[in-house]
Amino acid sequence: MTPELLVVKDLSTTFDTPAGPLAAVGNVSFDLNQNETLGIVGESGSGKTVLSRTVMGLQPRTNVTVTGSVLLNGFEVVGASDVEKQKIWGLQVAMIFQDPMTSLNPVMRIGKQIDEILRVRLGMDRSAAKARAIELLELVGIPSPAERYSDFPGQLSGGMRQRVVIATALAGSPQLLLADEPTTGLDVTIQAQILNLLDEIKERMKMSVVLVTHDLGVVATRTSRLIVMYAGRIVEMGSTREVFANHRMPYTRALLDGSPKVSNPSHTRLLAIPGRPPNLLNLPPGCSFAPRCSFATDRCRQERPELQPASAPGHSFACWNPLPTSRGATS
Amino acid sequence: MLIGIVFVITVGAFYLIHLLPGDPAVIILGTGDSPVNKARLYKQLGLNKPILEQYFIWMKNIVHGNLGTSFISETPVWTTIKGAIPIDLELMVISQILAFATAIPLAMRSAKKPDGPLDRVLSAGSFTLLSIPAFIAIVLLVLFIAIDLGVPHTGPSSYVSLGSDWIGNLESLALPSFVLAVGSFVVYYRILRSDLIATLQEEFITMARSKGISQRRIMWRHALRPSSVALLGTAGVNIGGLLAGGFIVQYLLDIPGLGYTLISAIGYSDYLVVQGIVLVVAVGVILINFGFDFIINLVDPRISRE
Amino acid sequence: MSSSYFVNELVEESTTQVTPERKKKLGILFWICVSWLLLNLLGAILANVLPLQNPLFQNYSVINAGPSLHHLFGTDDLGRDIFSRIVYGSRVSIEVSLGSLLIGFGIGAPLGMLAAYRRGKFDSLLTTFMYTFLAFPAIIATIAVLSFWTPRSLLKIIIVVGIASIPLVYRVIRTATMNIATKDYVIAAKVQGATDWRIMVKELLPNVLPIGVSFLLIGIATVITLEGSLAFLGLSVNPPTPSWGNMINESRTILQQNPWLAIFPSLALCLFLLCLNFIGDRLRSHFEVTEGNL
Repeated sequence: MTPELLVVKDLSTTFDTPAGPLAAVGNVSFDLNQNETLGIVGESGSGKTVLSRTVMGLQPRTNVTVTGSVLLNGFEVVGASDVEKQKIWGLQVAMIFQDPMTSLNPVMRIGKQIDEILRVRLGMDRSAAKARAIELLELVGIPSPAERYSDFPGQLSGGMRQRVVIATALAGSPQLLLADEPTTGLDVTIQAQILNLLDEIKERMKMSVVLVTHDLGVVATRTSRLIVMYAGRIVEMGSTREVFANHRMPYTRALLDGSPKVSNPSHTRLLAIPGRPPNLLNLPPGCSFAPRCSFATDRCRQERPELQPASAPGHSFACWNPLPTSRGATS
Repeated sequence: MLIGIVFVITVGAFYLIHLLPGDPAVIILGTGDSPVNKARLYKQLGLNKPILEQYFIWMKNIVHGNLGTSFISETPVWTTIKGAIPIDLELMVISQILAFATAIPLAMRSAKKPDGPLDRVLSAGSFTLLSIPAFIAIVLLVLFIAIDLGVPHTGPSSYVSLGSDWIGNLESLALPSFVLAVGSFVVYYRILRSDLIATLQEEFITMARSKGISQRRIMWRHALRPSSVALLGTAGVNIGGLLAGGFIVQYLLDIPGLGYTLISAIGYSDYLVVQGIVLVVAVGVILINFGFDFIINLVDPRISRE
Repeated sequence: MSSSYFVNELVEESTTQVTPERKKKLGILFWICVSWLLLNLLGAILANVLPLQNPLFQNYSVINAGPSLHHLFGTDDLGRDIFSRIVYGSRVSIEVSLGSLLIGFGIGAPLGMLAAYRRGKFDSLLTTFMYTFLAFPAIIATIAVLSFWTPRSLLKIIIVVGIASIPLVYRVIRTATMNIATKDYVIAAKVQGATDWRIMVKELLPNVLPIGVSFLLIGIATVITLEGSLAFLGLSVNPPTPSWGNMINESRTILQQNPWLAIFPSLALCLFLLCLNFIGDRLRSHFEVTEGNL
């Protein structure tokens, strides 16, 4: 069996704020294999962005404490120095960010931003790097790539810019791509294009992808496995199909209910989850979702549930009062 | 646009003398006032002709490089000025190189670790230095280092020209360049530091970091450029101001640059020299601003597109 | 080195109120500086009634004396009491700076705001006009004019410096106003039918004020320094009127014999400037935080 690409164990990220310690990510564990796509979903403040950055090692340097382990191809990210992390950044793991407007250096030509990693890290000479950059521009679907090479980011539209960001991330041929809300800042019409592009590239370059988003529609067809996060912890995880069809945690149900489905009859009301996301500085004891959960029991409010396995392999959830499965088992 | 500004300035420089109370001829002649001189001057400048014509006569002279001949020193104004310009240029070049060479790396260090020990020391230090005007600095420096100063300047100046002895030249310009450099450094450092800190918070820096680019490269190749606009703008104004604005430093330390010449001319009521310097400085400032606008555009093309 | 902004975002999402530690306090040093400035101001205003020596009285028996009980800061080379001359001298600094900035702001600020708000031909013409003058170092022009506009008087200095400062004030206020005039809430007010005058007073003015005050303080510091430079050229107020610049200038020739004439006025000037700069800086960072939370 091929070793896993990414092994995350008990990862916690705590921020040291003026108002006290803030546990943005608590005890997250998961694996990722080669060629797999993992989706991480949650609302704003669920910790998904902090998680992805911590996995990469890009969390802020000051006032942050990270515990646990992140093994990327056997390399331990947690506790590694910047110099050590720089070795894997770009070449084994890369990241694309939410806002293409701000992810690119506005005063540097896009070609230069794409081939920088080739020249500086891989020692390619100028013309070879430029040629490869143009190839990459073509790969991400930018028309007339040779001319666009010398453009500035400001000359491109949002969708094009995000393609450039993707090209930049791919330049070093990383095995793992972390995509943090890659389409949230884009027009709806462009979103599908970019996601399709990611699918294509993933296939072609045999990359594993971690797709972080709040949009369930995005992960439905494009991920093989799914993690649902709430208040910094994993509340459900498993294969995407299983989680969609047989979710046990009420929060997952609430998320699903809240997203529009084409199959719904028209004028179906979207159910909003009552209440607000919890204050991470002041988490209530017990399950963090209990205050907003219509199935909450006293145990839920007092004792925090740990992840327990469900019937299907690889599927686990954290709930004392889970939803009944369609197969009849109750826990 | 450039031409327009130069034009307005020539008009201003020309008209200035007619704005001041008193007969222009008397002002220009100053102590060389005599009926003969006065008649000559009237003829030369056409002072009894309508003012528009006077302007054209004046402009024609200027274009031919004739800024008039001082009635005080009996030498052509342009000759006097021409000798002073290279000195100013040298002062500017040395002081600015010093200022930039220290401000840029130090601002980078501070931006990397805001509120760290280096940052605090530099902030407090530059703040204090900002509050000490150049003339006070020199007076106090002299007081505590006891260089000979303040004696009426009847002896030869301490400045040594580049051509004759380059070591002596650098020696004589060391203190004034240093004082000017410190003044510039203080301003540049604060501006660059603040802009760098802002830029480093941008997402594209994180993106660059995620490519495994070293911190050093990120600072110099990614962060510096977008943060330079305010710095370059200020440098342009600063350097323009140095053209003759370093006059205090020059005057106190005996360096015969444009500033020094200006002060002497004022002391002798040598109007033509003053006028000539005003004109030269104006043109120089325009050229410098123009140059810097060009540089800024190279560094950050967004400015022109907006 | 990565974005700490998203930490703030996270904290924002989790906390419902702004934690008090995040607002930058003005601090005790700030108030010390304000007190110092007020002290100087009081001294300048009340100089006549304070128990000071006569600043013009030349007592040849105590030339270049060091500090003593009788003469707190010593005497200059004409036997005049330095301390009282410093107190009276502050008048010059304060009058020049406030007077000239009154002119500069009084004319430059309204013009700048109007131009920024109205735009169009009025703006283009006026701005080109002003920017032409900006291109030229004002100091040189000021010196040139003052040197030939004799006889010297404080009023003339105020007028010349004041007029020279108009283009700069104009530019700063205009830029600041432009930044605000394009903001949504101003457009919203306009759409709701507010008159131009009302918009200027209610929306633009309060937001330009912090920048204006900050710049005002810088202006005061600059003008005071300018007076010092002018004094070195003999272009400041005529002796025997004391001014800080004059005194420092006079000290140059007798540096060896009487360091006090150099030290005390320098100290007075530098401390004044230091306080001004510090207050300006603190105000700026204080208002920055408030704007961010908007």
